[in-house]
Amino acid sequence: MQPEKFYYDNKIVRNFGIATIVWGIIGMTVGLIVAIQLFKPGMNMGNQYTTFGRIRPLHTNAVIFAFVGNAIFMGVYYSLQRLLKARMFSNILSQVHFWGWQLIIVSAVITLPLGLTTSHEYAELEWPIDIAITLIWVVFGINMFGTIFKRRERHLYVAIWFYIATFVTIAVLHIVNSFELPISAFKSYMVYAGVQDALVQWWYGHNAVAFFLTTPYLGMMYYFLPKMANRPVYSYKLSILHFWALIFIYIWAGPHHLLYTTLPGWAQSLGVAFSIMLIAPSWGGMINGLLTLRGAWDKVRDDVVLKFMVVGLTAYGMATFEGPMLSLKQINGLAHFTDWIVAHVHVGALGWNGFLTFAILYWLIPRIYKTELYSKKMASFHFWIGTLGILFYAIPMYWAGFTQGLMLKEFTPEGMLKYPSFLETTLRIIPMHMMRSVGGTLYLLGVIVMAYNLARTMAQGKLVANEAAEAMPLEPVTATTDGGSWHRKLERRPIPLMVGALIVILIGSIIELMPTMTISSNVPTIASVKPYTPLELQGRDVYIREGCSNCHSQTVRPFRSETERYGEYSKAGEFVYDHPFLWGSKRTGPDLAREGQKYGNAWHYNHMLDPRLMSPGSIMPNYDWLISQTLDTTTTRAKINAMRKLGVPYAVGYENQANADLNAQAQQIADNLGKDKIKVKSDKEIIALIAYLQRLGVDIKANKTASK
Amino acid sequence: MKQRLLTTLTVLLLAQQSFAEDSLLSAETKNYIGFGAIIGMLLLFLATLLVLLRTFKVLTKAVLKLQGYTKQQIEAELKPAKKEKKPKSEVWQKLLSLKPLSEEKDILIPHAYDGIHELDNPTPSWFMVLFYGTIIFGLGYLMVYHVFGTGQLQDAEYKTEIAQADAAKKIYLSKAANLVDENTVKAVNDPAAIAEGKAVFKASCAPCHGENGQGVVGPNLTDEYWLHGAKITDIFKTIKYGVQAKGMPTWEKQLSPKQIADVANYIISIQGTKPAGAKEPQGEKETVEKLALN
Repeated sequence: MQPEKFYYDNKIVRNFGIATIVWGIIGMTVGLIVAIQLFKPGMNMGNQYTTFGRIRPLHTNAVIFAFVGNAIFMGVYYSLQRLLKARMFSNILSQVHFWGWQLIIVSAVITLPLGLTTSHEYAELEWPIDIAITLIWVVFGINMFGTIFKRRERHLYVAIWFYIATFVTIAVLHIVNSFELPISAFKSYMVYAGVQDALVQWWYGHNAVAFFLTTPYLGMMYYFLPKMANRPVYSYKLSILHFWALIFIYIWAGPHHLLYTTLPGWAQSLGVAFSIMLIAPSWGGMINGLLTLRGAWDKVRDDVVLKFMVVGLTAYGMATFEGPMLSLKQINGLAHFTDWIVAHVHVGALGWNGFLTFAILYWLIPRIYKTELYSKKMASFHFWIGTLGILFYAIPMYWAGFTQGLMLKEFTPEGMLKYPSFLETTLRIIPMHMMRSVGGTLYLLGVIVMAYNLARTMAQGKLVANEAAEAMPLEPVTATTDGGSWHRKLERRPIPLMVGALIVILIGSIIELMPTMTISSNVPTIASVKPYTPLELQGRDVYIREGCSNCHSQTVRPFRSETERYGEYSKAGEFVYDHPFLWGSKRTGPDLAREGQKYGNAWHYNHMLDPRLMSPGSIMPNYDWLISQTLDTTTTRAKINAMRKLGVPYAVGYENQANADLNAQAQQIADNLGKDKIKVKSDKEIIALIAYLQRLGVDIKANKTASK
Repeated sequence: MKQRLLTTLTVLLLAQQSFAEDSLLSAETKNYIGFGAIIGMLLLFLATLLVLLRTFKVLTKAVLKLQGYTKQQIEAELKPAKKEKKPKSEVWQKLLSLKPLSEEKDILIPHAYDGIHELDNPTPSWFMVLFYGTIIFGLGYLMVYHVFGTGQLQDAEYKTEIAQADAAKKIYLSKAANLVDENTVKAVNDPAAIAEGKAVFKASCAPCHGENGQGVVGPNLTDEYWLHGAKITDIFKTIKYGVQAKGMPTWEKQLSPKQIADVANYIISIQGTKPAGAKEPQGEKETVEKLALN
């Protein structure tokens, strides 16, 4: 048989590579801005499009889906072709994939600052973009499997198992977490409510980390690390064990994001138990990587690319040990909602995803341009300033997390909260936040140096757009060649492998999600909890638009320190009309679940105008546009109808009367403000927001008074 | 030796009994003493064993000498030649289940992917221990919370936390002079208390009532008109419980009873000061009896 000649497509790899660098710089710059906003409210730039609540999701989306996303596609398109000895299935699909993905990112860059958001973390994009993501993901899948089917290599290498698991799981996660009911071209309500919505969201959120930030990167590690070090992979058996264990166990761990909330206890405990079991499978990847470097440690000393890999793998090991520890209830009770979590995710993002991406870029760009790296010194500088950046980022944030977490829990001997004002704890950690932005600046600086270095590398070389290669055509499988272990056999069968991965991830998903979704006793109802009035509903959508839940949680945990500070702890029945849930995941400001009736309307009005009037030293941005902007009441009808469709008991025909009720309630609030010499028209957005805030957590109190 | 041990034990036991009777020592201190005692005992045992070992050595030497051994023979008997120590790295490799690099070619899987080879190394044993260990932990965790019911789920845990805190608070308050409430609060003209009250006022009340009590969102506190009563007990009550309908928050959770009393006294002290920008009067006219500062 004659070897066949074919060409690897390097151009698509290069395109994804450039996109990775460009979006990386943009995403990290936005990250730096939001970091500075946390100690200098002026950095919100006095307009609604650049406030923390709106651009923090932009930062997370840009670094996860634009920077890391493009890096994944770069790594997959490069390694897949070579591991399968075949060109990508379709040039057109590759192009559609590339441009489609960039278009999705651009639409995120436009819609998120406009306040178009579902409020689901890491899934903020609204329903038309969700559909676009689904389509492009399918294009990616067809292109990948098309390449697999025309391969010239019978066995699928471990990297490809990880790519396949990534593909199927992200598809499942994205679709289930995007069940939304559109009410207009760019606004939708989540189909699930309250605790169910929270469970779906964190099953998604946790596994986006698993199957977008972890599995594709493990796959890339398995291809690029042995290539870079020119060493065999340490253990094939370990690859098999940790691959299946990782994808099976990861999917269960989502509820550890919801400890001490109203999620049923059994689901919380499952989340904790599986998080602990996740340590070994995660470390399997790290040790298989680090032990692959056995006999090559002398190279690590000289080769900056391997240095990036080693620090990246170590960061992965640290983050995947810390994660399970944070899942333990006792530690979670202190750490959750604080900067500790922010530090944790950044060790993973900056160390693991960032450093692996940089290593791959430094290794791959000179190769596809048939040249040497422009400057090794600059790359070395990047490594050191990047490492320093991670330290300067993480250490102050751990410190801030401990400090604030402990302060919020401290009592005086009289049994009073030692720091009853939340703001006092915020002010205490401002120096740490300043340090953190220094760390971020260092890290960003390194990336900019890399961009320059790689641009010069590209300029001095010439892209080999189509790289010639040769391989023997695939021989048909016969009874004699179909030997080996069961796994060996599975490696020759891509579809059963994919189905196997799908079944493995569905087991945990179904066992955890279904009972909470279908058994009503898991969400005990409370009679006094009533649907929002039309004005409150509109106010809630202003709250969502402004991204308030990026800094304010809405769930009081059953701790003495929280019930003393905020009021009675939250009950599942309180959230049954919340499509979507708005519990948040970080308390940069205090919890708002019991905010209703705590302060007067005038307090809220002044506080939104300039938070520092009511809370001196506050780092919250001004929301003065809420006072000048008129509330759009044309959507009320569609919103009431959508809510009814989702099971909220508005009477049939109420949509006709809703705006009249809305105006009456708004007038009441405006009149009340007038008594405090605040002149504001009743049709402004601020009125709706005040109405919503004054309603928060009130219903359950009504229950108390009635039963007394 | 035996006698010494027995004496020590008796002393410790007796001591513990006397600790139990002494209510001045907190449970925590007692715990520390207990731990100290246990560690002390262990150290004592260790010392005793060392002394015994030494004794045996001396005895052996003496016996061997009696049997006619030479000095060199005795030395050889007591200190047998040590086995060749393995190089440190080898121990390390065994612990990590690592095969020496020289044996690598034996476990190389012949098939290569784009030039990448794989080794047929076993999964490291420490890794398997870790893996099975975490699985056992996970199962145990679920058992503790959901089968045996020995672990407290969050609602029960909360009740325990509150009960403990209430008990501790009760004990503390019974000792401290912080028992003032809306029925027992007294108007005083103690400058120290008023200064304390002023400090709290500036920090917590000024945003709504103005730096000098002139009124902003909240009412003017320096005029003779009162919405919720002008008596010290009324003012105390208004601060403590708040007036929800009017936007006055409750301060019970944020200020101690003493602090509330101080603020109430400070408010009385600023009666009639007529600050700049005073808000128009609200409520009923009521005169507050201002006590002269002494």
